This record gives sequence, C-alpha cells and structure tokens, in this order.
Amino acid sequence: MLSPVAAVQAEPLVQIEGLNKWFGALHVLNDIDLTIRTGARIVVCGPSGSGKSTLIRCINGLERFQKGTIQLEGVTLGQSARNTAVARRQTGMVFQSFNLFPHLSVLANCTLALRRVLGKSMREAEEIAMHQLKAVRIPEKANAYPGQLSGGQQQRVAIARALCLNPSIILFDEPTSALDPEMIKEVLDVMTALARDGMTMVCVTHEMAFAREVADEVVFMDAGRLVEHASCEDFFSTAVHPRARLFLDTILRH
Amino acid sequence: MGFDVGFALSTIPIIVGAIGATLFATVLSCVGASAVGFTFEIIRRSGGAPGFAVRFLIDFIRSTPVLAWLYFIYFVLPFYGIRLGAMTVGVLALSLYYSGYLAEVFKAGIDAIPKGQQEAARALSLSRRDTVVFVIAPQMLRNIAAPLGNYLVSILKATPYLAVLAVPEMLGRAFDIASETYRYAEPLTVAGLLFLALALVVSYGVKRVEQRLLATGRR
Repeated sequence: MLSPVAAVQAEPLVQIEGLNKWFGALHVLNDIDLTIRTGARIVVCGPSGSGKSTLIRCINGLERFQKGTIQLEGVTLGQSARNTAVARRQTGMVFQSFNLFPHLSVLANCTLALRRVLGKSMREAEEIAMHQLKAVRIPEKANAYPGQLSGGQQQRVAIARALCLNPSIILFDEPTSALDPEMIKEVLDVMTALARDGMTMVCVTHEMAFAREVADEVVFMDAGRLVEHASCEDFFSTAVHPRARLFLDTILRH
Repeated sequence: MGFDVGFALSTIPIIVGAIGATLFATVLSCVGASAVGFTFEIIRRSGGAPGFAVRFLIDFIRSTPVLAWLYFIYFVLPFYGIRLGAMTVGVLALSLYYSGYLAEVFKAGIDAIPKGQQEAARALSLSRRDTVVFVIAPQMLRNIAAPLGNYLVSILKATPYLAVLAVPEMLGRAFDIASETYRYAEPLTVAGLLFLALALVVSYGVKRVEQRLLATGRR
C-alpha cells in the first residue's frame, strides 16, 4: 500500500458541496459533499446506476447539475462558461471506452490539444507527447492509429493524452471496464505508477484489489447518495453502511 | 436518315469545347453545396431559433424543383435590383438546391460518430470550432464518402439544367447543333456519352478517395 497523504497538510483541490442533479424525475445525485485534497487517490465505487460516473463527470463540467457548488482550485464551476473552461483545463479525463480520435495517429491524438488549446509549437507538443507516451510505456506506437492497438494500449494512450495538458487532477471513469482481463493489469500498472508520482486522482472502478493497493480514500455511492467515505483501510475492514457491506461481500467473494 | 457516324464524330470537338463550362459549374456547385450544406447542418445542430429556421429552409429547398430555383433567381431577383450572370445563377441555384440534400448526408455522417468523441474533445478543452474542424469533420467525411460522391455525380448530371439560361454547357451545345442541323441523334448521343465518361471518372475518383480515407485510422 502506498503511504497515505497527510490530510492536514494537503490543500483542498476540489470542494463539492450540496451537489444535486436530476435526469428528469430521476434524482441521480443527492446532496453530495466531497472534498478532494491535492495528492489524494480516491476510488469511487458502488452498484451500477448509483451516480458514480455522473459525479466525476460533474467535476470537469461534462455534466451540468441543478443545485450545489463545485470549486476547483478556488474556481466555481457552472457560474459562467469561462469558469467551467478554466476549471476543465485543470482536469484530465479517461473514459471507459477510451474515446481516442480514430482518424489521428497516437502522437496526433496527444498533440492536438497541446497545439490548439495551449498553443504549443509542433516540436514542443511532440516532445511533451513523446514524454508522456514513454511514461505509459508505449512510445513505439506513436505513429500507429488507435484501431491498430489493443484495448489496453488504447487506454494507456488515452491516459498519456490526458496527462499531456498537465492537469492538477485526473478523473478515471471505469478505465478498465471495457478491457479484456489480460489487458487490465497493464492499465492498472500505469495508474499505480501515476499515483506513486503523486498525481491527484479520482477513479470510478470495480477493481477492489487496485483500490486496496493504490487508494487512500474510498467513496461508496448508492442510489445517488454518497453513503460512505472512509480511508481505504477503514472501508475494507469496518464499512458500516449495510449497502456498502453487501457490495463488499458480493465483490470480494469473486 | 440513319445514325451518321461521321457527323457524330464531327460534333465531338464542338461539344467537348463546352466541357469547360460543365466542369466549371460542377466544381463550383459541389464546393458551394458542400459549404452551404455543412453550415446548415452545424446551425441546425446548435438548435435555437436559427436551428429551427434552417430546419425549415432545408425542408423548403428539398420540396421545390431545381428548375424553379433557376428561373426564380434569374428572372425574379432582377425585379429587386439583383442582376446576376447566367453561370452565376446556375451555380447559385445548384449550390442551394443540393445543399439541402447534402445537409442530410452530413447529418447522417455526424450522427454516426460516437458521442464519446465530442466528450473527449470537450474534456481536452478544445473549442467548438476546433472540435468541428479536427474531430467531427474528418470522421464525418470518412462516414459519408460514398453518398457524398453520389451527390457530386448528381450535381454533374444536373448541370444541363443550366441550358435553360443559355449557359454554354455540353448538353446545351449539343442541342444548339441539333437545332441548326435538324439532326438530334448524333449530338445528343455524343453529349450523353461524354457525360457518362465524366461521371465514370468522378465515381472512380470518389472511390479512390474513399479507400484512402478508410485505409488510415480504422476504428
């Protein structure tokens, strides 16, 4: 297990207060309060449909919400399009289905935002991209197209692409759920290395072994509520909420 | 009076002389129809009042004959002080008319792109414009290469409409020869064969482009 972050020293990076979201009549997020400190490694788990993905998609403004506030490095999301853009610039996102751009090479996938958003020169952008592709151990595929890569390789490229913009926090939305079992490890290994480097990360996942090894906090959601938020150790040993207990019993039996 | 091969051959240079006008009208109309059609589709997607207006406009364009557009722009607009040359009117009418159809093709091409692509672009902070130019449009083109090519051939085949405004394109030129000589079979056959040849060349070109688009970056 990685050393836990000393909670008192680290500053709050993301502050979520009283967050509520409805899809029509469906109350998908119900009064969520969550503080994410710099350097935190949070795993969000819970049954499907509990609002996990929606929660992290709110953090980078991919989803709108109706009530509550989200602050990212002091910038309040949703107040204006400009604020949302500023906050989004600080977050990286990795999707379940990778969402690489299929018509662009691996390198071009990584350099596009560097050039168009950060205004880097081609040479500079490629340097940064190659550095990140090395970090996810796939530099030899720089000129390949996503369709020529395995799922695990694509997801590692997606992680590199997100890292290129040098985000303060990276959000993982079930990053291994679309992968064949033999590819899950290579992606989790990259994520573990990222955690070792001190990257702040929030990860929606069902990989409880990964949670145990890497997470310092676990958030459990059920039916739109955040029902348990504990240190990793406490969550696995003494989770008190019956839904969390049931979930753990089911998932750990596998 | 049978089919006179010698006469037919003698009409070829005259009709081929009009190939420039045909190609000029085709290329400009293709570019115009694609640009207007794509703009229509982007506006329609963004919704709101402009989106609604464009939706109506597309339906209106698709429900009216292209000849009506030609006559309207050529004969009615001068009443309002807008006087345009025959070729300009022709290109304008074909561009507008086919933009309505191409907007539908573009729509299908964009609808076929997974939603995750736009989300990834947003998550990377790409602007709306950059998302369209670098993420949506290239993937759309790959999705619609075949139907888009069909419409480009259709536009080529629609250029004879411009003959009604006396634009010197191939079929009009063939008809001129026919009126002068009272021999219809030969010039019209030659014009038809020339259109066939052009259409085959365009189709072949489209197929090549499509193959190249599909060769890089298979999903």
